[in-house]
This record gives sequence, structure tokens and C-alpha cells, in this order.
Amino acid sequence: MTAEDQTISSSRGYVQSSSTTDLVDHHHHEHESLNPPLVKKKRNLPGNPDPEAEVIALSPKTLMATNRFLCEICGKGFQRDQNLQLHRRGHNLPWKLKQRTSKEVRKRVYVCPEKSCVHHHPTRALGDLTGIKKHFCRKHGEKKWKCEKCAKRYAVQSDWKAHSKTCGTREYRCDCGTIFSRRDSFITHRAFCDALAEETARLNAASHLKSLATTAGSNLNYHYLMGTLIPSPSPQPSPSFLFGPPPSQLHHNHFPITTTTFDHHHQAAMKPASSLSLWMGGNINHHHEQVNIEDRMAPQPHSPQEDYNWVFGNANNRGELITTSDSLITHENNISIVQSKENANAATSLSVPSLFSSVDQISQDANAAATAANMSATALLQKAAQMGATSSTPPTTTITTDQSAFLQSFASKISDQGQILEDGGSDKFFALFGSNSVGLMSNNNNNNGLHEIGNPRSGVTVVSGIDELQNYPWKRRRVEIGDAGGGGQTRDFLGVGVQQTMCRSSSINGWI
Amino acid sequence: MTKTRIRNLTRLPSPKPLRGGDANFMEQLLLHCATAIDSNDAALAHQILWVLNNTAPPDGDSTQRLTTAFLRALLSRAVSKTPTLSSTISFLPPADELHRFSVVELAAFVDLTPWHRFGFIAANAAILTAVEGYSTVHIVDLSLTHCMQIPTLIDAMASRLNKPPPLLKLTVVSSSDNFPPFINISYEELGSKLVSFATTRNITMEFTIIPSTYSDGFSSLLQQLRVYPSSFNEALVVNCHMMLRYIPDETLTSSSSSLRTVFLKHLRSLNPRIVTLIEEDVDLTSGNLVNRLRSAFNYLWIPFDTTDTFMREQRRWYEAEISWKIENVVAKEGAERVERSETKRRWFERMREAEFGGVRVKEEAVADVKAMLEEHAVGWGMKKEDDDNSLVLTWKGHSVVFATVWIPI
Repeated sequence: MTAEDQTISSSRGYVQSSSTTDLVDHHHHEHESLNPPLVKKKRNLPGNPDPEAEVIALSPKTLMATNRFLCEICGKGFQRDQNLQLHRRGHNLPWKLKQRTSKEVRKRVYVCPEKSCVHHHPTRALGDLTGIKKHFCRKHGEKKWKCEKCAKRYAVQSDWKAHSKTCGTREYRCDCGTIFSRRDSFITHRAFCDALAEETARLNAASHLKSLATTAGSNLNYHYLMGTLIPSPSPQPSPSFLFGPPPSQLHHNHFPITTTTFDHHHQAAMKPASSLSLWMGGNINHHHEQVNIEDRMAPQPHSPQEDYNWVFGNANNRGELITTSDSLITHENNISIVQSKENANAATSLSVPSLFSSVDQISQDANAAATAANMSATALLQKAAQMGATSSTPPTTTITTDQSAFLQSFASKISDQGQILEDGGSDKFFALFGSNSVGLMSNNNNNNGLHEIGNPRSGVTVVSGIDELQNYPWKRRRVEIGDAGGGGQTRDFLGVGVQQTMCRSSSINGWI
Repeated sequence: MTKTRIRNLTRLPSPKPLRGGDANFMEQLLLHCATAIDSNDAALAHQILWVLNNTAPPDGDSTQRLTTAFLRALLSRAVSKTPTLSSTISFLPPADELHRFSVVELAAFVDLTPWHRFGFIAANAAILTAVEGYSTVHIVDLSLTHCMQIPTLIDAMASRLNKPPPLLKLTVVSSSDNFPPFINISYEELGSKLVSFATTRNITMEFTIIPSTYSDGFSSLLQQLRVYPSSFNEALVVNCHMMLRYIPDETLTSSSSSLRTVFLKHLRSLNPRIVTLIEEDVDLTSGNLVNRLRSAFNYLWIPFDTTDTFMREQRRWYEAEISWKIENVVAKEGAERVERSETKRRWFERMREAEFGGVRVKEEAVADVKAMLEEHAVGWGMKKEDDDNSLVLTWKGHSVVFATVWIPI
């Protein structure tokens, strides 16, 4: 178990930072054998082995062999070195032979035997034998372990076990059929799921409707918060809705209904005579279409019958929200409670809990002062030219056309350049990316109204921030990626013939 | 004649293939390209754009897709600077359109990664503690996620408080529809769903929408809150989840006192019971394009990486939104550039200046966050910063989102 923990924790690509990484939970301290309280062991990020280490490349067969450690006396094989040593003790060896040759001085790192894998290259080797075994299994191995409850398959037994522990142990099922493993995702879904509307409809089916004749005006009532408001009445009623749960006789007999509060002063928007159709009244249409905003906003005349089709936004197309004046009146008391002018503010007597101290240190500053000049644009482009220029597949005519169209239109802007592009041979073309002709190109920009380009190419440098590798270790992985077996991605200039890269799974940190 | 050229190309020796995933290299190219565009060096810009296009296919690995997003943004910027270029720049397939979510889809979307749920858990825990005992709880939810935090808060109030508040008021500002994620229903409908949900939890809830916008620092909202007297024993909770970054700051209004400062000052004067601030820890405000691009590149690789193992359909929407953000940061200027995130350090300065003090998050919340992270990819982690009482969500050790709790001092 501990070994597994070690493997798992050592494969996390955590940035070395001074603050507490991960959560130091005291209960798990005994498992954190790699992080003794006093000394923080320097852990290399995965795929960035100690340069002094000895690189071991095992064949897949050896790697997956279950008995790597063989007793020289009887030939018995063991999975672990410790087990082998225990076994050797039983042979009653003379003292001299008991000693193991000290061969563990040099740290060992292991490469993945799979050629196309990112970890096949020595610079991306992994430090742990168990780690590389697991990696090989997970990535390149057959997924022999299958979860019974769900469809997931695993190549590594410990992964499968870990999953089985949590799979289906806590399942939350919404009425709509979706299943969740986490309660909060379930709750969030449930709140918005249409299934909820149906349930509440059923709950409130017994409550009687209060309805009043509606006016010919808008059935959309905008109720304003007491006194505050939308100062200027707009042609479209401004959407400051207040609506609350309707009186549900089943549940809230004593609950004040705060369905609406309205402001006595703003008559303009008041439609006191309009009816309230309590939601979930008897005539609910269970249309579950989403309502258009425009539909809702447009005031529409309503027949009394339809007043009962109250919606919480999903019962019918006109999803109107309607309130009763009748219920308003009855709720004056409640409103007044809410409207209480007492400004007693409970917040005044707060005691101040722990305050943070001033933050002095400046962590990664994205705008750090430039310290190192980086490669100039031309140098970069030269590098690009050297590195990724061609493909081996002949381009198709269609691509040709596209690119030629591009080039031609490009060329039409810069006429002299057109010469270079169309007539030139390969060397001239590439010269575009060399330092010589770049100057050439810049001189030809004046033709079509483009701005003069005064600054010389070589002057265009982009200074980087603080040492990239230090502040952005995630990029470190990328710097030294060698050619792992030539299966890399190639594209010719025309964007044709992309060979899919072998190891797509190479995430930034060589994540396993 | 084009054919001649192509044949000439194939005569070249085939070099070592360019590693599309070399992030440093990509970054340098992008930065040079940005400089070229801004200094009107169309030729150089073209060269680099072309190289980038060839080395970073839109369907490549996460670094390549990240680069493609930046490439698109740079193209967009180049075209807006020099409209005549638009005809030449057509070699990229069009970007995915932004999806308009149904609320159920959005609920699932925000839980794809811990990006938002982290802040939800931390903030809800703090809110719950702060409102215990109040008769009315008034929550102002300024959130990018269209109230996705609220259901769990309601549920927690109903189940975890000794005495759930007799009245819960939820106030939101009208949906801006200027930045993703977009939803396909009105806030009225959204609110009604929340209210009915609250009912099922035996909580009386009122829902209010106040027309107010980030572009003026939510001044209408603040005014409403000020004018509207709070009732007896009412707790005002202001939950700011990835929204305050849209309020114009000094880099936009170029004055010493920005709308951001004004907002916080007025917020303080409302004497809220508690303010939660959850934001992304990155500085995207620099006026210098190169610096801004560098910051953005060195942060936005994270969302691409976190969804790298997702299936293409799942992450398509997600990446479309990140690409929108990249385009906004790189290609837009002035008021159009709404994405002006600041670092945690800077937000702390602002809060302190506005006379707020930080409160630490309780251990239970920390444990809840940790438990949640376990259910996601292994790269997710969390830091508890003791010196400033913040909780920071990390991806492979890099800070992603910070969650902080504040009270007036």
C-alpha cells in the first residue's frame, strides 16, 4: 500500500513551491512518507530525472515479469527485492556471500520500452520501477481488469481496486434518469431539471386557486422591491421580479407568503387587478419547452382560463408570471415585516475574526522585468525552417490551390515578393526564412499602402521574462524532447500530410 | 508555377520533425508574431502565422490546440488592424461557435472540472457559517455561472443549519450576454426554478433581478442595495464568482480611481455580512500586448491541459469558451476587451484598500474541497495559504483559482 502511495505521489508533477503543497492533513501523515515534516525531499518532476542517474531500459517482457528477482542459489523468482533477501537468508549462506554487492549507489531511472511513448526517451525517464511498470500497463497494456458495475476497464489492478471501492457506492439518481456520483452535482442538476417542476406540480395539486380577473394589460407583473426601484419606467417593463413559492397548504400553513412585494408608489407598473394563478394549479400544461425571452417580455392579453397556466418558466410558451392583488393584500403584514424600516443592522456588532496579514511577497509575476533576451524572430523562423519544413508526401492539388491562392493574394500585396515566391527555387523560398531575404521583403512593403517598416529585422527581439524554465516548469518538458523514434509530427509548408503524432497523450508534464 | 515551387520543396532534405508540442517554441513564435502585428510588420506576421499554422494543427495535442487558439486570436487582431489582410487569412477552419446552454447542460458543464465547484464549495461553506442565526439572508450572486452555486447553498442551508433562515433573498444582475457561458433561458425562468427548488427544501425564497452591468461597476445594483433598507436581522452576502474581473479597472479607465475601486468602496459601505471573492489567479490587464499574451499563454494552457483526456465532444464547448477568452485578451482593445483578470495579490490589495479583512476558510470546507478533488483527475490539488487565508486550486502545482472570504473591518 505504501509503495503504491509512493508511486502515485511521485508521479504528480507538482511545482516546487515554498507554500504547503497539497493538503497537509494530519491523519494522512503516516502515508506521506516522502514528506517528513522536517526535511522536504526534493522530488523531481515526472519525466525529469536526475541527470546523474543510471538509465535502465527493460524489455516489455522483463518489465511485466512478475518474478524479476532471482535467487542465485535455487533460481526461485520474486516480485520484490526485499522478498528475495528474506528468502536468501534461509539458505544459510556463509557470511561473505550474505553481503549483497553494493550496487544501489547510483540512482536508477527507467524508460518505457514502447518506442512511440514520450517516456521512451532517457530524458523523460521515470524514477520508479513500479512507476514505469504501472505506466506501461496503463498506457500500453491490455485492460484486463473490468469493473462489474460500470463499463470501465483498467490495466493496473490497483487502479481497478481503487475504482471499485467508489463505483456505485453513492449513487444519486434524478427522476429524469441521470445518475451522479457526487451529491453536489446531483443537487445542482436537480434544481434545474424539469423533473422537479413535475414533482412540485403534484405536490401542489391540492391547493386551491386564487384567481382574479385579469386586466387587459400586461400579465407580466413586475413587482418592485419596496421603494427601490427602477427609477424610470421603461417601455418594456423592467424585469425586477419577485416571486416566491405559492402557499402550499400541504406544507407551509404558517409560512408567510412572500410571493410579491410591491411598491405603493409605483403605480405605473402596478396591475393590481391582474390575477394570480397559483402555480401548479389544476390546469397546468406541462409543456417543457423553453420559453423565449421575447415572448415573455411582450405583454399579452390573457383569457382567464389561461391565467391558470402558471409557469415557472416551462409550462407554456407564454410563461407569464402573474400575481394576485388579493394575495398582495393579505400579505401586507408580511410585506411590512420585510419592509421594516428598522435599520438595525445585525452586521454592526460583528467581532472580527482572524485577519490576514499583509501580503508582501510577490509570487509569479507575469509582468516581471525582462532579464534575458530571447531569440530574435528571424532566428526562430530559421529554426522552424530547419526543423519542420518538409513532408515526404506529395501535396494534393486541392491543397496546392488553396495555398497558392493564399500565396498569390499575399503576393499581390507585395509585388516584389511575388517574384520570390513564384519563380524561386527551394533555396530562395527558404531564404524567406533566412536572415538575408527577410530584409528584402521588408523593403517591398511600401507598395500597397502598408505602413513603412522602419525597424530592422534583427532589432525585433522579444525579451522573455524571468527564466522560463524556472517560473514555468511545465514548459521544461518540451525543451529537450528528442526524436523518439522518428514518429513525430510532420507537416509540409502546405499543411499537407500530417502524420499523427505517436504519443498524443503527452500532456504537459508527461503526466501518467 | 505553383507546382514548380512545390516540387522544389520536396527536394529539400527532410529534417527532424518539428515537435508540435514544444510549448516554449510556440510561445516565442506567438510573442514575435504579436510584436510584428502591433508594429505593422505584416510580412513578418505572415511568416510566423504561416509557420504556426503548420506546426500547430487544431486537432493536435493540448499545446497545439492552445497555440491554435492564440493563432486565431492573433489573426483576428491582424485583420482588425489591417482589414485588407482578411482575404489572405483563410487557412484556418472557423472556430467552434459558442454553445448556448440549457440550465441542465450548464449544471453539468460547470462540474466537468473543479474549476468552478472549488469556489462554490469554499464560498458556500463560508456563507453558511456567516449567516447562522439571521432571520433574513440576502444573497447577491455576482457569478459567471448563472447561479449554479445556489442550489447547493440552498440545500446546505436547509440541511446543515440548526435553524434555516425564515427568508432567503437572492438578487442577481441581469445577464450580460457579453461573455460566455451563455444560457438559453431568461433569468426570470432561472429564478423561478430556483425558487421552486427552495420550496422543496422548505426554504422561502425571493428572487430579484436588478438591471445592472459590469461596465459601470454595477452602480445600479449598488444603488438599489443602498436605497433598499435591510430588514431587521438581515445578513447581506455578496458572492463574487469570476465576475468582478469584468469591471473596468485602471488599465481601461486610466485614472487613479477605477470603477473596480469604486465598486469595492461602495460595497464596503453597505456593510455586508460577508463577501466571497473567487477569481482566476492571472494578470491579463497589461496594456502591452506581448506581456498580456505571455501571461495568457502561461495560464490558459491549464484549462486545455485539464481537459486533455476528455473526449473531443465534451471538451469542444469548453475549449470554445477558452478560445473566446483568448481572442478577447489578444485581439480586442478598449471596452471590448472585457477579460481583465488580476492576480490574487492585486485583488488582496484592493480588498484591503477597501477596508475588508480576510477570513480563513474552515477546516470542514477544506476537507470538502479535498474530497471533491479526489473525484477528478489526479493533477488537481489545493493549497491552503496560511499567510493570507486563501484557498488556492492548483493544477499540477500551478495556481489556478483562488477563493477568499472577506468581512468589513
